[in-house]
Amino acid sequence: MNIAKQIKGLIQEADIYSSQGLYVEAKGKYEDAAGLFQKSKQLENSDNLLSVILQKISALGQKIKSLDGTGANHEISIKAQNLIKQLFSFSSEEHEEAAKLEGAIALAKFGQFERALKDFFELLRHDTVRVVAAKNILRCHVALSSLDAAVAQFQKWLTSDSFNSAELKKIRLFLQDMIDKKEVNITLPEIRGEDKGSNQLQEKDDPANVLDISSIGIIFDSGPRKGSIVEYDVSFQSGNMISLIISSKEKEWVDSLSIDHKLEDVQYYSPIAMFNGSGLVSSKTEIKSGPKRGDYCLDIKILSM
Amino acid sequence: MAIFNLKKREIECKIVYYGPGRCGKTTNLESIFRTYQKQITGEMVSINTEGDRTLFFDFLPMGLGKIRGCEIRAQLYTVPGQVRYSSTRKLVLRGVDGIIFVADSFKVRREKNMLSLQDLQKNLKEYGINILKIPLVMQYNKRDLAEEGLPLMSLEMMERDLNRQLKVPSFSASAITGDGVGETLQGCMKLTLEFLQKQLKWAE
Repeated sequence: MNIAKQIKGLIQEADIYSSQGLYVEAKGKYEDAAGLFQKSKQLENSDNLLSVILQKISALGQKIKSLDGTGANHEISIKAQNLIKQLFSFSSEEHEEAAKLEGAIALAKFGQFERALKDFFELLRHDTVRVVAAKNILRCHVALSSLDAAVAQFQKWLTSDSFNSAELKKIRLFLQDMIDKKEVNITLPEIRGEDKGSNQLQEKDDPANVLDISSIGIIFDSGPRKGSIVEYDVSFQSGNMISLIISSKEKEWVDSLSIDHKLEDVQYYSPIAMFNGSGLVSSKTEIKSGPKRGDYCLDIKILSM
Repeated sequence: MAIFNLKKREIECKIVYYGPGRCGKTTNLESIFRTYQKQITGEMVSINTEGDRTLFFDFLPMGLGKIRGCEIRAQLYTVPGQVRYSSTRKLVLRGVDGIIFVADSFKVRREKNMLSLQDLQKNLKEYGINILKIPLVMQYNKRDLAEEGLPLMSLEMMERDLNRQLKVPSFSASAITGDGVGETLQGCMKLTLEFLQKQLKWAE
C-alpha cells in the first residue's frame, strides 16, 4: 500500500476512535500517521497536514489529561442521592436501622459525604448501629476535610454523654488505627471507665463490626470431604454474627455440626478483600416454611479473621 | 440477590451490564429504554456522568410480566468501565443475579476486554460468587462498524479470548443500531430466571 493511502487509513481510523471516545487509541493512530509523514517528506502539502495532525494529537492529549483528573466525588442531586440510598440498602424492612446504615454507607462510597454525614448523625440515636455510624462519621470527616476534623469530632464525643465507655473505646481504637495508618503523630486519650463490652471481642479482633461479609468459604476439617471448600452467601449479618442458608442437600454435614463447634478454616469474603479466619457454630435451625423450607439456617460467630 | 415477595408473588432481580470503558453499556440501556417502552416501569437514570462517560452507574427498571404465576421485575444497571472506578463497580455488582458482559469488537480494545473480564471475575469472587456459576452472557458489540472497514476482531477470535472457558451464550450486537440488544437481554433473563427458579422454587 502506498504511504498516502496508509496515512489516510490511519487518520480515518483515528477519527472513528476519537468519535467513540477512545482517545488513547485515536492518539496512537494519529501518532502513527505523523510518523509516516515525517518519514516521507516528498508527500504534497505534507507540512500543513502534519501540523494539523500534531494539533489533533495535542488536543487529544489534553482531553485524556482532563478525563484522568475528573473526580467522581462531586455532589449529585438529592433525587439521585435518594435513589442510591434506595438501591444500595439490602437489609429487609424488619431491619430498618441496618438498611438506613447501608444507604448512608453507599452514599459515602459514592463520595456523597455531606449527605452521608447527615444520615450517620441521625443513626447515632439507634443503639444497634451507633458505633458503626460513629466510625463512618469519622471516615467522612477525613474524606471531606482532614484527620484533624475527625479528631475534633472524637474530642467532642469524649466530653459529651453520647457514648458509654465501651463504645468510646471502640471508636477510639478505630480512629487511632486510622491515624497510625496515615503515620501521623497523634495519640488519642485513653478511655477510662468500666468496659461493658469486655466479654466481647476487642475491636481489632472483630473487624466484622466494620466489614460487611458477603459470603464465606468453609473448608471441611473432617469426613470424606476433608480439605474441600464449600462457599455460601451470607443472608444476614449483625456485628460478628452471620447467618447462612444451607441447602437440605447438605443435611449430613449440617447434622455433623454441633453448637459451639469451632470451624478452624474459614474464608470470609468482604467487598474489600478475603480474610482467612475461624468461626463458631452458634445455632442451626431447619426452615419450616416458605421457599427455603427444608433448608437450614446456620448462625456462625466470627472468632477471628 | 433477587427479592422474592412470597405474598405478592413478585420477584425482583438485578442484571448488571459489565465491560471495559466505552464498550457500549449505557448505549445498550438507552436502546432498551427506546425499544421496550411498554415494559419500562420508571425513568432511565444516569447517575453522575462526565460527558458521555458513566462515573457511577445507570439504572433502568423493567417489568417483564407474569411467568409461572409470578410477576417478574428486573433492574438493569451499568457499571463505570474505566479501570480507576473499581470500587464503584464492586458496589454496583453487589446482589447481582445476572450479568451481561459487553465486549468491544475493536481490535485495539482486545486487551481491555480481557482485563475487564478478569476484573469481573475478581469482584465476583470477593462476593463469594464463582463466575462459572452465575448467569452470564457475552455481547460482542459494535459489529456494525465492520461495514466502515474498521479493524474489528472476528467473532471466533472474541469467543477464543473471552468465552473459551466460560462457554456462556454469546450474541453479536450493535447497541447503537439496537441489533442484538434485545436478544442479549432475553438470553440473560432466560438464564437468570432458570437459576432463580432453582434457588427460589417459586413455580413448584
